[in-house]
Amino acid sequence: MAGLQHPFSCLRYVNRQSADQSDILIATAGRNLYSYDASSGQRLDVWPQPVDANVEDKSSDAAPTSENQGPPEKRRKLSSTSDEQKDAKSESKPKDSNKEASNSWTNIPLVTVAHGKYVVIMTSEDKCVRVLSLDNEGKLKQLSARTMPKKLSALTLTPDENNILAGDKFGDVYTFPLIPSGEYVKVQTPAKPYEPSATNLTVHTKRNLESLEQQMRQAALSKTSQAERVALNFEHQVIIGHVSLLTDLISVTRPADSTVGKRNYILTADRDEHIRISRGVPQAHVIEQFCFGHTSFVSSLCVPSFEPKVLISGGGDNYLLVWDWLKNQILQKVELPGAEGESTVRGIWDVSLAPTADNTDPVKAIFVALEGSSQLLYYTLESDNTITHQDTLQLSGNVLDVVGIDPRGSILVAVDTLREPNSTSAWKSSSQPPLETFRLSSGKWTPAEDPMVTKINSEGTSSIPTTLEQKQQKELNDSMYSLGNLRKRDEPYDD
Amino acid sequence: MATPNIPAKRIKREEYRRNVQAQQESTDGSVIKMPQKKFFRQRAHANPFSDHRLEYPLSPAHMDWSSHYPAFVDPDASKTNLSGGRKLTKEVEVVDIGCGFGGLLVGLAPLMPDTLMVGMEIRISVLEYLSSRIHALRSQQQRLKNKAANPSSSEPKDASAQPESTESTSAPVPANDDEIGTEKLFPGNFENITAIRSNTMKFLPNFFGHRQLSKIFICFPDPHFKARKHKARIVSESLNSEYAFVLRPGGLLYTITDVEEYHHWVLRHFLHGEQPEGGAPPAASSKDLFERVSEEELAADPCVRVMKYETEESKKVTRNKGNKYVAVFRRKADPEWPA
Repeated sequence: MAGLQHPFSCLRYVNRQSADQSDILIATAGRNLYSYDASSGQRLDVWPQPVDANVEDKSSDAAPTSENQGPPEKRRKLSSTSDEQKDAKSESKPKDSNKEASNSWTNIPLVTVAHGKYVVIMTSEDKCVRVLSLDNEGKLKQLSARTMPKKLSALTLTPDENNILAGDKFGDVYTFPLIPSGEYVKVQTPAKPYEPSATNLTVHTKRNLESLEQQMRQAALSKTSQAERVALNFEHQVIIGHVSLLTDLISVTRPADSTVGKRNYILTADRDEHIRISRGVPQAHVIEQFCFGHTSFVSSLCVPSFEPKVLISGGGDNYLLVWDWLKNQILQKVELPGAEGESTVRGIWDVSLAPTADNTDPVKAIFVALEGSSQLLYYTLESDNTITHQDTLQLSGNVLDVVGIDPRGSILVAVDTLREPNSTSAWKSSSQPPLETFRLSSGKWTPAEDPMVTKINSEGTSSIPTTLEQKQQKELNDSMYSLGNLRKRDEPYDD
Repeated sequence: MATPNIPAKRIKREEYRRNVQAQQESTDGSVIKMPQKKFFRQRAHANPFSDHRLEYPLSPAHMDWSSHYPAFVDPDASKTNLSGGRKLTKEVEVVDIGCGFGGLLVGLAPLMPDTLMVGMEIRISVLEYLSSRIHALRSQQQRLKNKAANPSSSEPKDASAQPESTESTSAPVPANDDEIGTEKLFPGNFENITAIRSNTMKFLPNFFGHRQLSKIFICFPDPHFKARKHKARIVSESLNSEYAFVLRPGGLLYTITDVEEYHHWVLRHFLHGEQPEGGAPPAASSKDLFERVSEEELAADPCVRVMKYETEESKKVTRNKGNKYVAVFRRKADPEWPA
């Protein structure tokens, strides 16, 4: 494989119910979403469709053609797409064909899969939540695009998978239906003439009175109503709000026990060290608990599917916390490698494997990766709900995402193909394969052969020109490794 | 900043505040003078979204209140909280969010002498004033108590502490807030109030546990007139969820403002609007957790009177002949879990 290629930033494994369909692997790299046949590794579709010579499309003028399959847009600088972004915004109509999709994003940081046949993504720069259908052949087709007011930091689904939960950088959590129900009629408020809410009873200083007078004059002049509040043009509800940057959001169902029935919860984390436990929709306004214990921002939450009472959280402090989250009780504090104030948890993943011939017990694995680290920490959840470090896997590049493949007893790791291991900025001269796989045998995860991985790696993703300017490289670095920005700086002066 | 260019006003201010500080720290038992507001003025706005350099406990169980309420520290020294501080004999249960110069707290303190109350303020100078004021109030009350117990002996001590301000203490009726509490004894002697610097929009749950509070006051909040700034308002549906978390069922949340539009904003964010006949029920939200308290009930509530007439802002509004809009909400019980 020559040249540089985008790494996979997100991986999702889609289990297909019926026996005659093979499973599908969903992956994002650069600005593209890929679907692969999970048995052969055959690429089934790329979204958005690369611009073809035989497809008449004006946007092909703007997009330089390239020989390989990869669409070329990632070559652009952000600044050069800003015009298009504005276009996309001003249109902001749902786009329902692949061709219409605008070119105004460079990466897809959030992906989730609903009912095994819908892929929900957020495209980065245009802040758009797009729902795509995933058909039996693995083809992707955009069904809806909804533009959010702020960039999202987390995207998940309600337990019934019929509603999307989206947490944004302003601390708000929205919910809206996976499939928009019919035409959304925006509640039309009668256009009220602008009226300053201040009066000469509430402002008194000379300057304030002057500006109030000015506002009054202005209001009298322009009979047209003032620019309305940024209202979303689709059915939605704000259900939770943090006055902080929201970092992660998960939706959890606690199974019924002897005292209470099945209950849904939403767990949210923010930059101000908080983990909040709210009830699930429609009662998300009821806060049940806060989990206090982190002393830096929280970046990752993980409630293992095999033990929903337990929460494992990590962030900017160099430890993980294991919680009985409904009781705000810390069960364990797990030190992480790296110095205080430096290491940041990029992700925590739970992987469960059914017993096999190799492993007689069911596997309850927790994997943890630090931001910009090529090591994958492997823990197991014990019966007393603590975790034990078992091993550290060494990868050829920084760990970006992990997904467990139960039927094969293996994990799939997306590694950074662009940057040197353990660096978030030093670029390689040529890419390495974007996927690695490990299989558990007699308690050890060892590199494994998998025809799917071999096939995907041989095809690679989309290329990046080797002659990228420093600035463009930096933009790519920043979009891939942004967690460090969450750290609070010691401001020298404060009033 | 170049040192020669510091304005004279600031130099005077800093010197004054240093003196206040030094006086507070001195342990010679002398009586502390009341601080003067004019040396602690600060711009009326603070950005609630910026980090500042705030100190806040890791959790309510880590909050050390013992230095704030020395009169309420549990005599059993073995009882400590998670950060090692001494425990109190009771919990804090009243909060004034955005307490400013502390008029409400000083007004409420004698009304509920056995209830612990805290004011939270984000502006550092204003907070410094209020802390000095409470410290001085307690000291003045101590002086009055000593005087009552032993009329002759405490006088010289007092004179030595206030050598140049004999004329102000001899005034029969205090002309301004700075002098409240220097003339007569109040129930509770202001031992039950304190002030903390905090950004409650971010850190309220770090200080107070689930259902710990019986009353929250939000008096004359920054109106954030511009629509673009409405996100910074202290009342919003999502923040109301947090107020509901720390308020016990039956607890009250008091609001007062002089801005009519803000009053309607408050009502809109705490109560469901009029529903059209036969229309769908309103979507579930934090509005389900509050109900408005009736006018009759408010008329009988002394806290409303203090809020309306004794806070610094309310006096200013009265002076300027402005309007005051009061709305009080009661925390309802949490809804039943969906089946």
